[in-house]
Order: sequence, then structure tokens, then C-alpha cells
Amino acid sequence: MASNAAPGKTGKRKLSRSNRVFQIVNTVFWIMIMFIILYPLYLVVIASVSDPDAIIRGEVVWHPVGISMRGYQAIFKYKEMLRSYGNSILYTFSSVVISIMITLLGAYVLSRPKFKGKALFNMFFVFTMFFGGGLIPTFLVMRDLRLYNTPWVIILMGSVNVWNLMVARTFIQTSIPHELYEASMIDGATHFDYFGRVVLPLSKTIIAVLAVYYGVAKWNDYFTGLVYLRDRSLYPLQTVLREILATLQVDMSGDYMISMADDMSSMIEATKVAQVAKYCIIVVATGPVVILYGFMQKYFEKGVMIGSLKG
Amino acid sequence: MKKAKTVSAVKNTQNRQSIKSYLKNNWQLYVMILPAVIYFFIFNYLPMYGIQIAFKDYKAVMGINGSPWVGFKHFTNFFNAYYFKRLLANTLILNVENLLISFPIPIIMAIMLNQIKSDKIKRGVQTSIYVPYFISTVVLAGMLYIFLSPTSGIFNTMRGWFGLGAVDYMSSASAFRPLYIISGIWQGAGYSTILFIAALAGVDQSLYEAAEIDGASIWQKIRYIDLPSLLPTIMMVFVLDCGKLLSSNTDKALVMQTAGNIPTSDIIGVYVYNVGLGSGQFSYTAAIGLFINIINFILIITVNKISQKTTEVGLF
Repeated sequence: MASNAAPGKTGKRKLSRSNRVFQIVNTVFWIMIMFIILYPLYLVVIASVSDPDAIIRGEVVWHPVGISMRGYQAIFKYKEMLRSYGNSILYTFSSVVISIMITLLGAYVLSRPKFKGKALFNMFFVFTMFFGGGLIPTFLVMRDLRLYNTPWVIILMGSVNVWNLMVARTFIQTSIPHELYEASMIDGATHFDYFGRVVLPLSKTIIAVLAVYYGVAKWNDYFTGLVYLRDRSLYPLQTVLREILATLQVDMSGDYMISMADDMSSMIEATKVAQVAKYCIIVVATGPVVILYGFMQKYFEKGVMIGSLKG
Repeated sequence: MKKAKTVSAVKNTQNRQSIKSYLKNNWQLYVMILPAVIYFFIFNYLPMYGIQIAFKDYKAVMGINGSPWVGFKHFTNFFNAYYFKRLLANTLILNVENLLISFPIPIIMAIMLNQIKSDKIKRGVQTSIYVPYFISTVVLAGMLYIFLSPTSGIFNTMRGWFGLGAVDYMSSASAFRPLYIISGIWQGAGYSTILFIAALAGVDQSLYEAAEIDGASIWQKIRYIDLPSLLPTIMMVFVLDCGKLLSSNTDKALVMQTAGNIPTSDIIGVYVYNVGLGSGQFSYTAAIGLFINIINFILIITVNKISQKTTEVGLF
């Protein structure tokens, strides 16, 4: 694999050739990877605006065929999805606010060098990364606490994450100058003062990082809704989508199919529209997250980078 | 930490006073950490207390505390069940295969990315490879169902171009593992590169310059500079991954499960969900859950020990 670099002209020539070969290999490698990653997403988008018949005939491969918005029209009549969409926005928003508050407060405390009991609290948190109650005991405890089948269980479950807590702690430790802390303390500031007046305003980056991580995790979670909710009107979006997307058959009797069929159209028509509507649902459910990522991109990466520093 | 130690070395009386004044100045810290403590207490430690039902016959009317003890009954039942071997094998094979196949890919990607000359292209590539991470499990599985559909899926359309017949992959037991692993790589490999990219960004640039003066090729630089610099990160990620060998991604296997692929898709996590919540066998499935948790716990500690011994890199 490695060309032996002998000194002298021939060696250099050999070397530059081997490097050139590497650059070609690398370019081909990335073109392939980019295609594999982006093509499925592209396909979903073009299919979502294509004619249902063309999709079933297998004509939609490289570009949309017979532009049609019937899928989108159909899903906007699908009440259950719209309601769950609203639920998810509410759950995600409130959960992110709560998560950020608890995480930042805890992270601030853990980042204080002279905080007594730090090791104990650290262990209390980190232990949960390696051992837990498991699905069934957690379920029973939530039921005993009367959290089962309430929006609270969806909002609170997973709202503090040990990894995020440690990332936030490292951020506060490394990016907020310690001199500020000492100066404020000499001036007689309390921890509440210092946290509110200095730490919070200087933590915009980490707040954005936490918002991205907590927000995406909450928006994309279907399992908590499936396990802890009985009442369908409380379902978050992903739990509803599971029934439509992750199944082999199109359920002819469901709410979904009924909203696909206009009054005029036959059952066959409805089945066809239901096929396209799946692509549209993916676009509508995933679009906002991907767009948000576009805006928050630098924060997203930053989170992992901070996390990889040893605090 | 050091200061705290010297403080504790000071005489007792002084000590008590310093604790008093410490608390007077710092009680707010304990108020601020309280919400996080309450959160973990309710959502992590109470469920651990609930684990006792694995050794009881849980009856809803009697509650977690009041149900009668039955010892290891549920565990022996599980070990003796005819499906025990299948569940364990399915879980282990899926996760070990997944770990071995998926693990090297982000490392290769990070190294190759590091070799892209143009910063603009590098940024563009980086931005795109993270995108699949933002796609939910349900949508990912949904895309598999749609693309692999035998009647209208793109994959079978493409097979048709080569004169091959349609195959219903989602109903095929032999296709489940490859699909699970490949879709996992598609979704997660890009995201997993970030840690490795960060490690590579931290490499001392003068090493590369020195290597170039010595006439090292790109391959040699990768072999002798990049790989050794990545080793601590590689070990850390590997240890973490090993700790998940029996538990990973129940939610994904659950949405990918169909009547046809049950022989391979029936893994312990999915079984616990189906039988525990589906048929209400709480104690029995809690015992199974505990069994997995203990094995995972032992695994992560063992792998960490081995990693510490051999490479001096460990998590704790």
C-alpha cells in the first residue's frame, strides 16, 4: 500500500504519483458517499410532488414526473396528523425550555472548582449512563406516579441527558473566564447573581447546542409516546407516523385512508394517493428539522467538539 | 480538588467553621443542582428501585412493594424457555455484526475527509454527511418500507432494469440484519465522524510537515500520524459501543419488524416490549430487562479494563 519513499528524483516522482492516485481515490470515494447519502432524500422530495401513477409505474427516478400536489392536499385533510403535529411542537418547545434550564443550572454547579460533593453528584449522574431500571420498571413507576397518559411524561422523559450535562459543564468551565467569577465573588455577588448576570448571557452558544440536541431528540422520538400514552389525541407526530409509514400494508379502514379519498374518487384512487402521501409526510415531518439544522449547523458540530474535551 | 484536600487536612475545629462559612456562601449551589437531582431520582433511580418486581409476582392491586416475592423464578423460566436461545442469538448476532461492520466506517470517513484539500468542499461534505442524523427512526424505517416495496419501490424498479424479479425485502428474515445495519450506517456514520474529525484537528501540524520533508506519502502519513492520533478516541468509542451490545435500538428493530422477518428481528428488547406491555407480563419481562442490564454493565466494565490494560485508554 505505502510506496517506499527512496531519496532522490525517482523517489519523489513515485511519491507524487502515489499521492495523485490517492487524491483520485478520495474524490471518487466522496462522490459515491455523497450520492448514497443525498439520493434517498432527493428521491423522497421529487416523489412527493410527482403523479401517483408515475411513481407506481416506477418512472420517478431522477426527476419529478407529472407534477402533482395531490399528496400534500391529502395530508392536510388528515386531522390526526395535523393534531399530532401541533402536539409535537408543544412537547418539543416546552421540553427544550425545561431541559435547558435544568441542564445549565446543574452544569454551572458542577463546573465550580470548589463545589463540595462534586464527586458524589458526578457519580450520581454518570451511574445512570451505565445502569438503569429498564423499560418495564420505568413504565410501572410512571404509572404509579400518575404520569402515564399525560403530556408531562412526554415532555419530561429524557429531559436531562448526562452527556449534555457534561458538555454544558465543560463549556462553562472552559469558555467563561475564571477571573470574572473571582471578581464577582469578591464584589459579594451570590451564585444566583453570577449565574443570571454573567453565565447566562455568555452561554448563548451552549444554549443553542442544547436546543439542537434536546429538540431533535424530542421531535424524533416515537417510542415514549407509544409506551406511555393510551389516548391517541395526545400522540406526538412520530407515534402517529409509525402507523402509516412503518407498515407493509396500506390499512384500508383507517383514518388515514379516509382522508386520502375525496368524495368522488374510488378506493383504488385513494390507495394511489396514499402512496404519494407517504413521501409528502416524510417531507413535512423531517423538513423543519433539516432546515433548523441548516441554521444551527455550527452549533451542532460545536457540541460534539466541546464534549470531546476532557472536563 | 487539591485545595479541597488541603482544607480537609486542617484541624477539626477550624474545619467545622470553614464548612459553616462554606455553606453560608454556597448553599445556592445545592439549590441550583436540585432540579437535576430530582429529575434523575424520579426517572432513573425510582425505576431502579422498581427492578425488585423482577423477583416478585407483580399484581397491579398490590403495587411494586406489596407484591409477593418469588425469588429467581422468572429468571429460570426465561433461561429454560424454548425461545431463550433464539432471542439471545438474534440480539448478539445483530449487535456484534452491527458493531464490527459499522465501527470502522466513520474512522475511514474522517481520515478521507481530512485529506480533502479545498476547505470549501470539505465544509460542504461535512454539512451533508450529518443530515441523515436528523431523520427519525420512524421516517428511516418508513423510507425502507417505501423504497423496498415490491410493487412501487425504487429498489425493485432498479432490479427490473436488469431483468431481475421483485423481492419483498421487508418480509424476508435474511434481509433484516443487512437492512438494519446498512440503514444504521447511512443514518449514523456521518454523525459519528465528528469525534474523529475533532481528534484529527488536534494533531500537531508540524508532524505532517516533518513527515513531508522526510518524503512520506499520504498513505504513510495516515498510517503513522493519523491512526496513532485517533487511537484514544477509537478506544473510547469502542468501549462505549461494547456497553450497548445487548440493548441497542429496540425502537428501530420494533418498527422494522414484520410478520415475515420475526425469525431474525425478534431481539430481546423487542420481545420485552411485546410481551411486557403487550400482554402485561411485567415481572417476567422486568427480569429479562435486568438480565440484559447486568450483562451490559459487566461488558462495559470488562472492555474498559481491557482497554486500560492494553492501550492505557479508558473511560473511568
